Amino acid sequence: MAIDIKKFIARFVEESRDNIQKFDDGLSQLENDPNDKELINALFRAIHTIKGSSRMLKLTNVTDAAHKLEDVLDQLRSGDKAYSSALGEILQNSCDMIAGQIDDVHETGNASKPDAAIMKALDDILENETPTDETETQEEVEVAPEEVAAPEGGEEKELKLKTSDMVRVQRSKLDELIKLMGEVVSSHGRLHQRLKVVKNIERHYGQDGVTDLQKLHDFGRDLRDDVFHQQLLMEELHSKALIMRMLPLSVVFEPAARLVREVSRSLGKKVTCKIKGGEIELDRQMIDKLSDPMVHLIRNAVDHGLEASEERKAAGKSETGEIQISAQQDGGWVLVEVRDNGAGISLEAVKKKVLDKKLKTEEELEAMTDKQIINLIFLPGFSTSAMITDISGRGVGLDVVKRNILDDMQGRIDVDSKAGEGSVFQLRLPLSLAVMRILLVDVAGQSFGFTAQNIFSLIEVQTEDILLVAERKAITFHNEFVPLLDLAQLLGIERKEKENKKVQHIVVVQVQNEKIALGVDALNDELDMVIKPLPDHLLSLSLVAGMVMTGNNELISILHTPTLVDMAARQAGDRPSQELTNEGEDATGPTAHHVLVVDDSLNTREIEKSVLEAHGYQVTLAEDGQDGLNKAMRTSFDAVLTDVEMPIMDGFTLTKALRETDQYAHLPIIIITSRAKEADKRRGMEAGADAYIVKGDFEQNNLINTLQALLG
Amino acid sequence: MSDLDTSEISSINDILSAKQHNTNADVVDVDETLVKLVVFTLDKNWYAFPSENIKEVLSDIPVSVLPGCPASLEGVINVRGDIESVISLRSLLNYGSLTDTANSRILIGATEAMRSGIRVDTVEEIIAFSQTNIKAPPSTLPTHMVPIVTGAIQLKNHTVTILDLEKMFENYRDGLQG
Repeated sequence: MAIDIKKFIARFVEESRDNIQKFDDGLSQLENDPNDKELINALFRAIHTIKGSSRMLKLTNVTDAAHKLEDVLDQLRSGDKAYSSALGEILQNSCDMIAGQIDDVHETGNASKPDAAIMKALDDILENETPTDETETQEEVEVAPEEVAAPEGGEEKELKLKTSDMVRVQRSKLDELIKLMGEVVSSHGRLHQRLKVVKNIERHYGQDGVTDLQKLHDFGRDLRDDVFHQQLLMEELHSKALIMRMLPLSVVFEPAARLVREVSRSLGKKVTCKIKGGEIELDRQMIDKLSDPMVHLIRNAVDHGLEASEERKAAGKSETGEIQISAQQDGGWVLVEVRDNGAGISLEAVKKKVLDKKLKTEEELEAMTDKQIINLIFLPGFSTSAMITDISGRGVGLDVVKRNILDDMQGRIDVDSKAGEGSVFQLRLPLSLAVMRILLVDVAGQSFGFTAQNIFSLIEVQTEDILLVAERKAITFHNEFVPLLDLAQLLGIERKEKENKKVQHIVVVQVQNEKIALGVDALNDELDMVIKPLPDHLLSLSLVAGMVMTGNNELISILHTPTLVDMAARQAGDRPSQELTNEGEDATGPTAHHVLVVDDSLNTREIEKSVLEAHGYQVTLAEDGQDGLNKAMRTSFDAVLTDVEMPIMDGFTLTKALRETDQYAHLPIIIITSRAKEADKRRGMEAGADAYIVKGDFEQNNLINTLQALLG
Repeated sequence: MSDLDTSEISSINDILSAKQHNTNADVVDVDETLVKLVVFTLDKNWYAFPSENIKEVLSDIPVSVLPGCPASLEGVINVRGDIESVISLRSLLNYGSLTDTANSRILIGATEAMRSGIRVDTVEEIIAFSQTNIKAPPSTLPTHMVPIVTGAIQLKNHTVTILDLEKMFENYRDGLQG
């Protein structure tokens, strides 16, 4: 395969100049705000891209300089080094030097050696680093470009190039489209005819009274037929035009497979790559955006995911690692997976890294499930590979990957991993960004839209079934308490009149694992609509994801669900007065009873906590039976409240286990669950619970009274 | 016309001296070039934008409100398939809100910084004016207007204040992001 290297050089120069510009801008901002983490990340990304691209084009002089600069930035990012204006000057010099090299590349196709004085200055900064790291880094720089042959050097570029501005369309598809256009034109001609007819009726109106009505009637019928006909044509035209933008995933998958081979060769690993579902089609817009994240995921899988051959042999696995890239259709979604059969992500390593880098505290980690901990690898500044390598860098990437998929592609990304068996990254992507399923709702006289993928459920609730816990409204839904908020109030729209309805329409939205229930006045319609972006200067308006236009030319805001959930959380947090009194009570009443609340739903935990705290109890939370049991053993609580259905250990088992200990043999244990069946109640009592409260008829007084009675 | 960099101006004196400098530059530059202006009113005061920044003038079309947007932003409109924001110039220049929108117009302004609709009370005319006849802005200008005014002309019995849309939009965009 002959690839014109010049084309790539031109692109490299263009892209690098962009990145240098970004670097320059960022650096001058850093002067003012030297602690801005996001800014340092941006600098790092810019230089990281230059390093990667130059390496592929065998511009080793640029790679060397960029790599060194990146090392320094990494120390700045991790906080090992603090920013000073002297350091800023060296960074600026280095950037200028690389800019000069890029100019060389532009003129001669190759770069000059990096300036020795500047490289020495960078080395001096790095001096604290352990020498082994240093040599390892160097080795990679030298080895990688030599092993990668020139034609393959452009591989990653190709991944992007393939999906450039040009679209290849089958002639038959284009022919169909043109035929349809012809139909539209002739249908338009018929409308002109109708116009003549109606003018004729107008002119002769009243001259022949008997037939006027008949003529109008005929006209109306014809017009209606025309409108229907036109509508069909329009819909077909729209869908045909969109299909032309659809591309098979193989456009991304095939270069990806080559990338796997290339990366594995340069790392000296034996890897096979399997591809499934390349025939599934996605909108070109999505394909464009998919290639960057795929490159990152693949590099990660080969570099961090798969073990070295010896290690695999020792673990009794085949020496050759396997990467599986697959796609499958799932309703309106496409599920893309990048799976490796490597060592899996080590929970302990993730925890350690997160603690070392101070990304989370030990208490925060304690409250997380294993899966949540694995998903911490998407945090900025994270990397699991202990050794820094030139191939996959240092974890710049996964945070970018996540942001691309969430924000640009309206999708989701998840990672799962089993020790010894490997990891899988799952991307859930909508088929197309062009047309999305939209739910339209009315609230306080205004219309708003939600994208369907964030909607968990649409329900109606009798007003009397709405719970009031700790002054907050909530509903019980699928065995958890979900806070209920009035959408108008959340958006700050004033209601003209007080609503007094028997039935409340509710949209339950979900972001990650958080659910909130939003009260609306009416569910209006559910349509496939084209989302138009807001103008650039309004992008900071995070509440609105875009606009749709209705049939009667009205513009409607599509609400950005993650922002709504954030706002709801903030509103809930805006209760300082209550918090304060609680603390006051705690301080004055050292005899306050300490209660353990065990529930796998965060919302439920929080709601129960606020009810209890409002009544002066001290509360500790646990998220499943095992967690609860561990905490109960460590601290002595006065009472335990537990849910039934929970992962790892359910509430019945927990109750039984607690009763078997001396400490909790006689203390109050209350089961709070949505299981209302008599049999369940009996099971609860048999397990040793003192009380059994069904969430459906949950009332805060009921809980408090029960608790008080039991505590005596 | 020379640049008036407001970001560096901190006091009235600075502003005045910078203004002075600006005016001098105009005097030196005695080309008989014509400046095209879009003249409009706000609360019976006459203003103008250079017409090179105004892409079109739309009669009052329904504006859709955006939740969570600043008060100076009326909302958005659909202009042939593109979403454009609508800034209330009254709110930006500290006039009260407009009650009768019958004659109201939306100017579509575009500068390097951004592109947006601008709501004005009425559009009076579009004229070409000789550069030499543009005077320095009146000294009675309220302070919040000083950075965005480049000059004034006399038109029929009215003093028309010329506004710098480039600067206005730049400030507005920065305000939104900050």
